[in-house]
Amino acid sequence: MSPATIKSHYEAIIVGAGAAGMSAALSLSRSLRKNHHEGQETPSILVISKLQPLRSHTGSAEGGIAASLGNEEQDDWHWHYYDTIKGSDWLADQDAVRILASEARKTVIRLEHEGVAFSRREDGRIAQRKFGGHTSEFGGKPVKRAAYAADRIGHQILHALWQQCVQMGVTFAEEWYVTDLVLDGIKVPDTDSPAEEQRKDGEHESAPLTNPCAKARGLVVLDTHTGETHAISSDTIMLCTGGAGRLFHTTSNSWDLTGDGMALALKAGLQLEDIEFIQFHPTGLGHTGILLSEASRSEGGILRNSQGRAFMQDYAPGHGDLAARDVVSRSIMAEIDAGRGVADPKDPNGPRNCVWLDMRGIGEERMKTLLPQVYETIRRFADLDPTVDLIPIKPTAHYTMGGIPITTQGQVYKWADGRRCPVEGLYAAGECSCLSVHGANRLGGNSLLDACLFGTRAGEAMAEQVTSALSGKSTAQSGDTRSLEQTLATRRSVIDRILDDSPSESDHAQAPDTNPNGDTNAYQVMQTLGGVMEDAVAVRCDQKSIARAEEEVADLDQTAQGLKAHSPDAAFNHELTAIMEIDNLLTLSAAVLSASDSREESRGALFRRDHPERDDQHFLVHSMVDREGRVDWQPVHIVDMPPSGRQY
Amino acid sequence: MEPEGAEPAVAISTGTGDHASGTHISTDSSVTIRVARFTPRQGRSGRSASNPFASSSSPSPFGSRPGRPRGKRWTQEYRIQTAHEQTILDCLLQIKREQDPTLNFRYSCGHGMCGSDAVLINTTPTLLCTATVGDFAKVPAEETGHGGDQDRGFRRTGRTGAVQSRPEGPQPKRTGWLGVIDIKPLPGFTPLRDLIVDTDTMFDQIRRFHPYLRDDAEPDPDRENLQTPAQLSRFELLSNCIACGICEGSCPVYAGGEAFAGPAALIAASRFINDSRDGHSQERLDDINQEDGILACESVRACSRQCPRGIDVGEEMWQLVEAVNR
Repeated sequence: MSPATIKSHYEAIIVGAGAAGMSAALSLSRSLRKNHHEGQETPSILVISKLQPLRSHTGSAEGGIAASLGNEEQDDWHWHYYDTIKGSDWLADQDAVRILASEARKTVIRLEHEGVAFSRREDGRIAQRKFGGHTSEFGGKPVKRAAYAADRIGHQILHALWQQCVQMGVTFAEEWYVTDLVLDGIKVPDTDSPAEEQRKDGEHESAPLTNPCAKARGLVVLDTHTGETHAISSDTIMLCTGGAGRLFHTTSNSWDLTGDGMALALKAGLQLEDIEFIQFHPTGLGHTGILLSEASRSEGGILRNSQGRAFMQDYAPGHGDLAARDVVSRSIMAEIDAGRGVADPKDPNGPRNCVWLDMRGIGEERMKTLLPQVYETIRRFADLDPTVDLIPIKPTAHYTMGGIPITTQGQVYKWADGRRCPVEGLYAAGECSCLSVHGANRLGGNSLLDACLFGTRAGEAMAEQVTSALSGKSTAQSGDTRSLEQTLATRRSVIDRILDDSPSESDHAQAPDTNPNGDTNAYQVMQTLGGVMEDAVAVRCDQKSIARAEEEVADLDQTAQGLKAHSPDAAFNHELTAIMEIDNLLTLSAAVLSASDSREESRGALFRRDHPERDDQHFLVHSMVDREGRVDWQPVHIVDMPPSGRQY
Repeated sequence: MEPEGAEPAVAISTGTGDHASGTHISTDSSVTIRVARFTPRQGRSGRSASNPFASSSSPSPFGSRPGRPRGKRWTQEYRIQTAHEQTILDCLLQIKREQDPTLNFRYSCGHGMCGSDAVLINTTPTLLCTATVGDFAKVPAEETGHGGDQDRGFRRTGRTGAVQSRPEGPQPKRTGWLGVIDIKPLPGFTPLRDLIVDTDTMFDQIRRFHPYLRDDAEPDPDRENLQTPAQLSRFELLSNCIACGICEGSCPVYAGGEAFAGPAALIAASRFINDSRDGHSQERLDDINQEDGILACESVRACSRQCPRGIDVGEEMWQLVEAVNR
């Protein structure tokens, strides 16, 4: 919870309190406690979150967290390593995936020790289930690798991490919204530099990056409870703000996933990596977009078209319904395009843009034990009974594989002059970041693993920085905060403009039509944008659809710049926050479109109708896009596995 | 503004269609949503314990009565096009888009997992995202004798039957004007603005009973603790609590948590008392064995009725009473 007083400077600030943010908060606090010497000043740490931590979207993750525990059957982290690389369509950086797979076991065991109520085997060990794309023997038969807690693993992890943060006395500033990330000394990158000048494969990650091109200075934050803005300086800042599902109309993501951290990075002059890769989860419930866990298929659910055919066998022989998510999503869309889709039973005369999920073979008892959340969601939001009814599903925007580029220590960097140029004191982890361990497509069970593992690692790296600063090797700690003060002043004037002249809604309680001139508002713009992005790039796109969306986004941006709040009262004024969120979404949309346009191939979650084949010769590289839409390319780290086909 | 027993005379403005979730659900029906609104005085006075700047600024304007912050209160009605099966969250989002973006309420995941959107709908504490129009819209009828002013007195009456199970009143029609839905802030909590309430008290109470697995011995980083499915089943349901506050809002004793730590905090305690990995059950039982702990529970069991996670909160409380007396 929040402190009684706040300081204008913290030794470390973490933005976001989901799995990544709280994993980092824990490892940071624990490391600092371990390094603490008698008589030394105790470093101050603050976790800022726009939600109370238990409301974070981590809590919605359902299926499992992948680790080769081998509790159910023989498993090997090398197999997990291979599966993740193959699932990524060979775009993941292999040095990073090596860490992901080899440290997965340690991560899951640690979570158990934190208190996660994993489902158990009769022998008392953590139970594991099959998940799409996870195999034994390098692409052999499916293996039970996802550790689970019924279908509520995210809820369990989120609550256990928060509980341990309570034990550690972590300080949270809740329902605060970060409006600006301030960096000092950033240089304009030379975008003409040839990407070929990278270091040799295998040398990538061992040494810390040198020659920083910028330095974390601080944050400007809006306290939504008071409506006041503040500047807080820190030399150690971490972004863990999650994904950006709200770019799309149909999404499994919470309403808060507006890509804030990614947009903050872009606006601070940084780049995003591989942001064109957005995963559509195959099984969103009908038109709601609410997620039905992949576990619904791993426990026996089958996708069927309007003719009743289990069509995944045609697209991914041998893997069928448990092929990688992008493959399944595209197969569903192909069936729909071929006229074999079905209408949502709620709207029998509507578009036939769903297919069936057939869970009738699972059995009621098993379904209620293993898939209680899926069962309840279907009962509640579709008013159907999955033990007897076919369930309408369609792909739903689920996960952003790309994000703020980081090293395996969580260090944010900029790709300039053919090298990774670190932003000193700036870290990131979780869905807002890009390592890249997911490449062009993430495997199920790897997101919680990524967030918890690399969140922890980044927290440790931050602790090291803080400790060395406190022991005197510090760069000027109070430092020059002019840039921060200036940003605060600018932000205040922007907020004043947004709140200016708004009629007080309490003044006209009897005539509350606050929309007399048909003017628009942030919520409308957000809805329009979701439709634009969905039409243009959901599951499939081409140059034309991208160009059209770019125009529409530019128009919407014009509209958004003029948005005003309809109430002048700044305290708990959610519309004020929404106006800044839509600005972030629009900033991010432009970057997604630029990167999608530049990648003239199809890979993983990105399917270009006009470039339907993967093109390793030109595009086995990470896109690095900035706010101006300039795209640079960074080579993929290939360590052990040369790219090959990706048949499922 | 108390239109009682009739379709309100003033339909505020009518939405143009259903954009709520991109559905094609036919919307040949409408509903009147009546929201209890509140703007704290001077807009910037809504300080709460979760504001780190609080103590460095002027003293709270609330005085010593946390339940009644000063400000402007009024009831606002919206008439929208919707459908029987739409959620009330869909309705409020539609209102924000089409009629009134100034309406403030918490919401996040939209499917009952985050616990942020507990409110009082008619007389039922529930989540906006799981409640549907069909469940709650009711055509006011003089003879049903409830609704309107009578609801007002609910908050601190301590009546045991105050919480109604749905469906309430006459079953609504499925098309045309479906009736009225009343929405107020969750009882037992201090309203901050519109439907947003101060949940800090609840989280303070939850934290008070050490809601975390204790790490006495350095665990083996390569081995999980063993726990059988039977041991897990003793606390698994309790661990599903989403801290939404509905049990607290239903409890006639809770009312702000001054005399009672509240069911949510005790469920959190019970989750660890029953976890075979913890080994501090007796200490934990001692912790809750206090005047304002489990002893304050009067076994009303209103807390069980609306739990969105299906926890029989009242029964758990009873088990705790028995355990501390053992």
